[in-house]
Amino acid sequence: MVEPYLVPNSLLNIVSGAVALGVSYYAFRYRRVTGSGFLRYLSVGFMLLGVGLLAQASLYLFAAFNLARVTDRIALIYSATALYLVLQSAAYLIIAAGYTVRVQKGMPMDRAEALAPVVAVGPVMPLLFRTLILDTGELVILVLVSFIAFQGAMAYSEQRNRFSLIVLLAFALIALSHLGELAGSILTSGFLYVIGGTANLAGFVLLLVFVIWSGRVGSS
Amino acid sequence: MVQAEKQRSTIKIYFDILTVTEEEGEAKTTRIIQKANLPHDRLMKHVAELQKRGLLSEYEDGGSRYYRVTSKGLEFVREVRRAQSFLSAFGVAI
Repeated sequence: MVEPYLVPNSLLNIVSGAVALGVSYYAFRYRRVTGSGFLRYLSVGFMLLGVGLLAQASLYLFAAFNLARVTDRIALIYSATALYLVLQSAAYLIIAAGYTVRVQKGMPMDRAEALAPVVAVGPVMPLLFRTLILDTGELVILVLVSFIAFQGAMAYSEQRNRFSLIVLLAFALIALSHLGELAGSILTSGFLYVIGGTANLAGFVLLLVFVIWSGRVGSS
Repeated sequence: MVQAEKQRSTIKIYFDILTVTEEEGEAKTTRIIQKANLPHDRLMKHVAELQKRGLLSEYEDGGSRYYRVTSKGLEFVREVRRAQSFLSAFGVAI
């Protein structure tokens, strides 16, 4: 049963969502100074990620404390999960597109082209209520985050500084969290689900450390 | 010595000019040309823009022209340093 883990997992996601919005704010702030296109992708991506995590956590908490009919609660949990998957897929797709543009500066990916798979998800929304589709969505996110973590590894091999190492570890933990959540769903293990949530939180805490630490550089 | 100009963005050039001037406390044009690796005409164009934005101030002493970074300019330098650290984590330069 996954339901008993709704409250702790939601609380973890609220913290992760707040950190994601913090990263989005700093990316937006630094974009205003540098005009970097990559930061635009990062800012929008983390904003969607933060909104997705907070929306999912809010709906889960509502479901957990809602004593109405069981069928309503299940529908709410499925809706929250679907919303979370769509927003997270869009978020990680945008961040991954940002990395692609960074790598191929000479031929930047068209924005509409980058978002095409997300738009395509719209018409099949009702299907998202099926567990199989939810798991597929989780798998898509896992692939996207793994790609971002790989880009983080490339950045670390180039830069070899503490900030790129923190970002690499953060995305690796977030990828691990999605693996845990996917395994939790397939094996119907609430424990694996919470492990996934904890790894996700650890990843976002590392991002918070990175934002605070990098923000202190200019002050010294 | 800073990197060659053709590889630098405008923000990076502004940052280099302000950093050189900040390090010197107050700097003459020739000193900035030398340390920021910029030709005179380009430097004057960027200096005019920095003055217009209130990031750099100018004064004359004994027939020589000196530049000094304003408090707004210092804040700009700090913010660009923070942005540089942030971007370096993703393998991106300003």
